Amino acid sequence: MRPQEAIRVLLSSGPGKAGIIFFLALAAVSLYAIVAYPLDFGLRFWNNPAIWADNPRNAPPAWSNTFTHLRRVEHTTFRATEPAAVIPGAGVETRLYTFDLDYRFEESPAFTSFSLRHLTYYSRPPLITLSLARPDGREMLLYRHAVRGPDPGESPPVSRYVEAPLRVYLSGDDTVLWNIADFLGREFEMELPLSQLRGMVDEIAFGIPGGDGQGFRVLPGDYTITVAVKVYHPQDSISEVVFVLGGSVYGLMGTDTLGRDLAVGLLFGFPIALFIGLVTALLATTMGTLMGILSGYQGGKTDIFIQRFCDVLGNIPLLPILIFLIFVLGQKLMLVILILAAFGWPGLTILIRSMVLQLRSGQLVEATRALGASPWRIMLRHIFFQIAPFVLAQMIFFTPAAILAEAGLSFLGLGDPSIPTWGQILEFGFRTGAVYAGYWWWVLPPGLLIVLTAMTFVLLTLGMEPVVNPRLRS
Amino acid sequence: MSLATTLALRGFTLFCVLLVVLLLVVITLGATGFSDRMLQATISEEMRGLRQSLAQTIRDPDQLEQVLHSRHQQLIDYYHLDKPWYFRLPNTVSQVLTLDLGEARTMRSFKGSSRVADIVMERLPNTILLVTTAMLITAVIGLLAGVRLATRAGSRADRVVSFFLASSYALPAWWVGIFLILIFSFKFALFPSGGMYSLPPPQEGMARLLDLLRHAALPIITLVLVSFGVWTYVVRTMVLNTAQEPFVSVARAKGLPEPLVRRRYILRVAAPPILTNLTLGLAGSIGGAILTETVFNWPGMGRLYYDAIMAADESIIIALTFIFTLVYIIARFILEVSYIILDPRIRYV
Repeated sequence: MRPQEAIRVLLSSGPGKAGIIFFLALAAVSLYAIVAYPLDFGLRFWNNPAIWADNPRNAPPAWSNTFTHLRRVEHTTFRATEPAAVIPGAGVETRLYTFDLDYRFEESPAFTSFSLRHLTYYSRPPLITLSLARPDGREMLLYRHAVRGPDPGESPPVSRYVEAPLRVYLSGDDTVLWNIADFLGREFEMELPLSQLRGMVDEIAFGIPGGDGQGFRVLPGDYTITVAVKVYHPQDSISEVVFVLGGSVYGLMGTDTLGRDLAVGLLFGFPIALFIGLVTALLATTMGTLMGILSGYQGGKTDIFIQRFCDVLGNIPLLPILIFLIFVLGQKLMLVILILAAFGWPGLTILIRSMVLQLRSGQLVEATRALGASPWRIMLRHIFFQIAPFVLAQMIFFTPAAILAEAGLSFLGLGDPSIPTWGQILEFGFRTGAVYAGYWWWVLPPGLLIVLTAMTFVLLTLGMEPVVNPRLRS
Repeated sequence: MSLATTLALRGFTLFCVLLVVLLLVVITLGATGFSDRMLQATISEEMRGLRQSLAQTIRDPDQLEQVLHSRHQQLIDYYHLDKPWYFRLPNTVSQVLTLDLGEARTMRSFKGSSRVADIVMERLPNTILLVTTAMLITAVIGLLAGVRLATRAGSRADRVVSFFLASSYALPAWWVGIFLILIFSFKFALFPSGGMYSLPPPQEGMARLLDLLRHAALPIITLVLVSFGVWTYVVRTMVLNTAQEPFVSVARAKGLPEPLVRRRYILRVAAPPILTNLTLGLAGSIGGAILTETVFNWPGMGRLYYDAIMAADESIIIALTFIFTLVYIIARFILEVSYIILDPRIRYV
């Protein structure tokens, strides 16, 4: 059958159509993941705690707010590299970085932090202030910081916060506490001891006094966070200003216990799952087809040997041997793929052989042989091409098996640590007790994606059936 | 081929499987230097003990060192550590075969023994209990549902159900397990989330059995859920194939009652190919059992795998790989024998 015709038959069946759509979707997402993230994503991002330091731990996805009584704070990170406005002055210039925050939550933030990266100054050290404009019209100065002057022997330009950024947790900083106490006294005529204010900073910043004399209630509305940097030389520069509103819900898929964004991890799992499945299936079917044709066409001792070999190899229980080999030889993804392929081909060889036996005794092969065609030519052109649709269907059928096997292995803690897969995300959740703590956003999606990917190939296999077996065509 | 040769041939193939796995295990261990390291660890463990006990009696440090050194040489000689690994091959094979794998590094059996054989054998019955129960339930459901579906073959319901059955192949056991824990254990608190008995376990017979049943429910449901689809699908297909045979039409034409036709003319004939197909799925269900036990903290050999991986306890992993292969091969052999009982064509040739 011609390829175009095969695709038409595939598309004419329900499962085939669904399979193709799912597969295209998987491929598109994978392509996006590969383009959007570097290939050493696992080492550079996923396993690098510094990147996830600001994120809340074990936070459910933001959309879970729809189902809860309380609207919880959505974790938000504001970044700016360029000031929103510059106020010129005599020999001094104030650069304003402003962040608008629409605060519609029913709890105070878990924390708020401010950080600043790579500052360079040429004359006097800049002065940084952080203030908050609240929806009730009150202005609140939170933080003031003078950058450290040049050290003895240091001459301008002076760079600060290059390796480690200036990072301030507002609730843990004493200047913030003073400012808050000041604010409360001025605006609400409240006197609270500093020891009591500690830990209440975020509650006060995003709230107003409850009215009953103690406690604060959340004040929803539009806030503006302003970072003002007073610089004394036009060439002074700051590479990044970041303000983090620490929430208890996060992004599209939530976070794990290290604060890692699960959406990113799951996204990167797409190309890897497809890679594992397709490469393993390709290797196993190639080997299986070669051996099957050889065994069926050559017959005799070759046949007996290959068949006995397949009998033995195909009967080895896969998971235990896979666990053993990966444990001893090391946790490498390529190794997993090779082992899966090495133990996966015998089943196909036995099937192909029985098909080749039929074809070999057919008139077509007999005629070509009579014309003097070499055995290799017959095997390739007249046997392989006839069984090719079947081989393709088997390859698709084998793909989910490989994906599931790798996921199972990862789930047992033997995944490749440098490459995060869905199985590993789930395993980490299982190992750290996410299942028992009920963190559904962490343990359900990776498994669901594995099921979905495996299902795609099952659908394709079902759709391929009429292509392979003409009697099923209607 | 006579009955005996058939059995012998199958038995021989299965024995070869065991042999290949064994060789694969010991060659991998040898060629990667793993076995050297293991033996060295055993020796240094022994030397440490010896040094402590000898230090009580031999006061002179030089003499002590001398005695220890000669003992060290003796041990190296005894374990053949001075020879390349392939000379130790037969020895290692027999060690694995008899589960003589020494002491586990950190793991202990429930009774406190650190011998690998004790740890593994103690858990074997728990695994067998779980897997056989699940398989029996799966078989009964599969047979009943498969035959029922086959009588409605081609209908819309049949096509939809068959599709779902076939696609249950894509369900990973461990994920189904986690899903069930989240729902039945945490949301509704109907079943415990893991383990085999409550703590402390009830002592009285009846209460103990009920406790066991409550703990086994979710793992068994998991195993049944992931495997009954394929079972039912296979039964349906095989029954369908047989039902189209002429002798079934003849039986119906003779006026035999339908249940009799179904039982004696269809199911009886379809039984051997059904069995063959299911034999092929056996290796998969072993994998499923390992993962299900891990999820439910079932104290069987599968969970032991996970614990041993976490504790990096290599002797236990080696022992488990061997035992799992052995269990698989024995199960396969039992199925082969029942195949011969079921298929008269093999018996009477």
